Amino acid sequence: MNLIETTGSHHGLERDDEARRGAKAMTSWQNNRGARDARIAAGAGLAHGKVVQARDATRLLEAVIRPGDRVCLEGDNQKQADLLSRALLAVDLSRVNDLHMVQSGVVLPEHLDLFDRGVAKKLDYAYSGPQSARIARMLFGGKIELGAVHTYLELFARYFIDLTPHVALIAAVSADRDGNLYTGPNTEDTPTVVEATAFKDGVVIAQVNEIVEQVPRVDIPADRVHFIVKSDKPFFVEPLFTRDPAAITEGQILTAMLAIKGIYAHYGVQRLNHGIGFSTAAIELLLPTFAERLGLKGRIATHFALNPHPALIPAIESGWVRQIHSFGSEVGMDDYIRARSDVYFTGPDGSLRSNRAFCQTAGLYACDMFIGSTLQIDLAGNSSTVTTSRIAGFGGAPNMGADARGRRHPSEPWLKAGAEADPDSPAALRRGRKLVVQIGETFGDKNVPLFVERLDAIELAEKLKLELAPVMIYGDDVTHIVTEEGVANLLLCRTAQEREQAIRGVAGYTDVGRRRDRAMVAQLRERGVIRRPEDLGINPLDADRSLLAARSIKDLVRWSGGLYAPPSKFRNW
Amino acid sequence: MTASLDDVARAQRARRTSFNEASARTRLELMLDAGSLVEFIGPEQREVSPHLRIFDLPEQFDDGIVVGHARLEGSPVFVAAQEGRFMGGAFGEVHGAKLTGLLRAAREIGSIPVLILFDTGGVRLQEANAGELAIAEIMRAVMEARTAGAKVIGLIGGRSGCYGGGGLIAGCCSALAVSEPGRIAVSGPEVIETNRGVEEFDSRDRALVWRTMGGKHRRLLGAADVFADDTVQDFREAALELIGLVGAFGPDRLKAEHERLAGRLRRFGTCKDAVDIWTAEGVADAETVPDLPADRFIALADRIGRTSRDAR
Repeated sequence: MNLIETTGSHHGLERDDEARRGAKAMTSWQNNRGARDARIAAGAGLAHGKVVQARDATRLLEAVIRPGDRVCLEGDNQKQADLLSRALLAVDLSRVNDLHMVQSGVVLPEHLDLFDRGVAKKLDYAYSGPQSARIARMLFGGKIELGAVHTYLELFARYFIDLTPHVALIAAVSADRDGNLYTGPNTEDTPTVVEATAFKDGVVIAQVNEIVEQVPRVDIPADRVHFIVKSDKPFFVEPLFTRDPAAITEGQILTAMLAIKGIYAHYGVQRLNHGIGFSTAAIELLLPTFAERLGLKGRIATHFALNPHPALIPAIESGWVRQIHSFGSEVGMDDYIRARSDVYFTGPDGSLRSNRAFCQTAGLYACDMFIGSTLQIDLAGNSSTVTTSRIAGFGGAPNMGADARGRRHPSEPWLKAGAEADPDSPAALRRGRKLVVQIGETFGDKNVPLFVERLDAIELAEKLKLELAPVMIYGDDVTHIVTEEGVANLLLCRTAQEREQAIRGVAGYTDVGRRRDRAMVAQLRERGVIRRPEDLGINPLDADRSLLAARSIKDLVRWSGGLYAPPSKFRNW
Repeated sequence: MTASLDDVARAQRARRTSFNEASARTRLELMLDAGSLVEFIGPEQREVSPHLRIFDLPEQFDDGIVVGHARLEGSPVFVAAQEGRFMGGAFGEVHGAKLTGLLRAAREIGSIPVLILFDTGGVRLQEANAGELAIAEIMRAVMEARTAGAKVIGLIGGRSGCYGGGGLIAGCCSALAVSEPGRIAVSGPEVIETNRGVEEFDSRDRALVWRTMGGKHRRLLGAADVFADDTVQDFREAALELIGLVGAFGPDRLKAEHERLAGRLRRFGTCKDAVDIWTAEGVADAETVPDLPADRFIALADRIGRTSRDAR
């Protein structure tokens, strides 16, 4: 407590100084602009125009950043401003300390080293995949003062209200001398971060892979960029959305078949988002085979808010998919995307233009379904990817996997789901419902049960004294749960008890499943709340890998006509 | 007549079944003449590993290998198939003894060829010495069977590759067929990286792993004599081709094999990467080899690829 108060007042002093300086200059309503100009002036000595050498990056940050600043270090689940994060880690602690990091992703080891070293103190973030275990340890150890774990869209929203960055450290592919930036296919968060920072008197520093005479297209106009640092090597991008078809199991294929027949076909879902698990990859690979034989082409899965998943290539090539808007890009997909501009959003240069904020909004408001995997589901349908030793964050799933209460446009699946949930209200006044589907096998990775009586997230919240347990998707948003045991339609449940038994009814041989009320589950099945594979006319023995349109990464390359260039870690040739 | 109809159905399935993905039993079922397999020491006898239970590890009733006799295009063969999905296909005491016994039977009879469908990461660490001894016994048994006149053909295209002691045994065989996903080596990628550092060998660079240990490289080097596309039917045809090609075995042939290997080391010993070797072998655009489809690669390999047909 003491430490926090001390730095708090220290921070306050700094601001008072700025305010006094502002007062002397008689511009008392433009203090922040003056402070911004002073920061830029302090950094200008290290720059030729806007260009700063990589070796001077740390000195630039020392000149521009003030103790206690809110800093957005661009990093999400894919691209990383890795040079700038290393540079920030090396600052003189007497000049830069106690920063408040406001960033989408805590992904690189350096992101947490900042807190170990004392460069940063407070954290507001959305996603921490590979650092999920270490961030949990550091939170328990008190090394990080946690603001909150957000969804992407929520954090972006707060950039414009109460978490506006003083300094943004971003990543782009190339810049021209004026500072126009080309972010390439991985535009992702950059426009949002820059918008919030540059238009509220903040300083924008970009690391770029190269400086060119003319950028291929302008993703960020030069007047929003104050410094450019040329990196020796390209910024790091993680191929997070590539699922090797060779690793898809027959259990996952069965769940995919159940979802296609029991949900996609039942509601006629055309506009949707997929999670990144193997079950949804299996769905993508069953569209041109199993779903085609069911006569569903053109009736389902035509418009996506989705990253360029390689697993969707066979469906695209078979004419299933009309349009995809993307949060980010995917390593190896650039040439394929260029050649398929009817499907993807591309710039005048031909390459993909992604935008995480817009795509999250599209997933929230313009999609009728989200389907994804999780690690734990409780008896109310709450789901979480948090375990007692790992805090993975949320990323975007809660935005896709939430009923958009502000939605007003009708669509067939939305209205049908709404009618199932509330059959008695007059149709004209009845809200529709977004389909929010959790899919997985009853026993997941390493035979850990998917279903639990109580989420680990609650224990974590108690240990860390959080006001909210980190729940990824709230039970009242979940409409369906799919396992190899069948499909549970929670829209048709009328009481909490029915809901619990519907969930237990598809939980198989997990402890949760074995404690089901057999009579009630049988009754729910008669009502169609639970539909077993045989109720859907699916023989589990038909769930065979030969159903997959591609069974290996190499098959995907073949489907793409050689345009998909998988990264080396996914090759077996 | 019914037998031949069964074989037509078998061949149809074998043509669309990936050898790489199939289980050991499916590989045998679809590769051999329909219904001809007679298993020795089958799972009903429950000859399980005496070591795994000490480590509280699951056992398998066949200990991860199927051995037996069968017919291939009407002629008798001995067969052994490792199950790569059980303990990575690794050799343990019982697993090894079953293969040793099969090879000794081949030695006694002398004229029946042996097909070994490798799918192994090497020796089962939990069975340490027993596993290592099994490798030595099998290598001796391979050489004795060959000396007695039996051809021993290795077929490599499973998910676990052919590593460790499996790589040594493969080196003793009369001939090998390999597919693109198949890998042949002694030390695996992770072992090399652990011992020699990531600068020496980056095990996560899978393109590097495959061009160093994968089927195409092994075929171009002459370590494997036939390149099979990844279907069970292709491996069947490769086995038939090799049974027809392999000549008699004796000291002269062994000397020729040593000369072949010494010559290979002289020619390529200074090459830093497989691409350098392929270039030295006269492959134009050597870096495109990994991307070649099977038919074009086979044409290339037949044109410039070496074989060990005069040696081994």
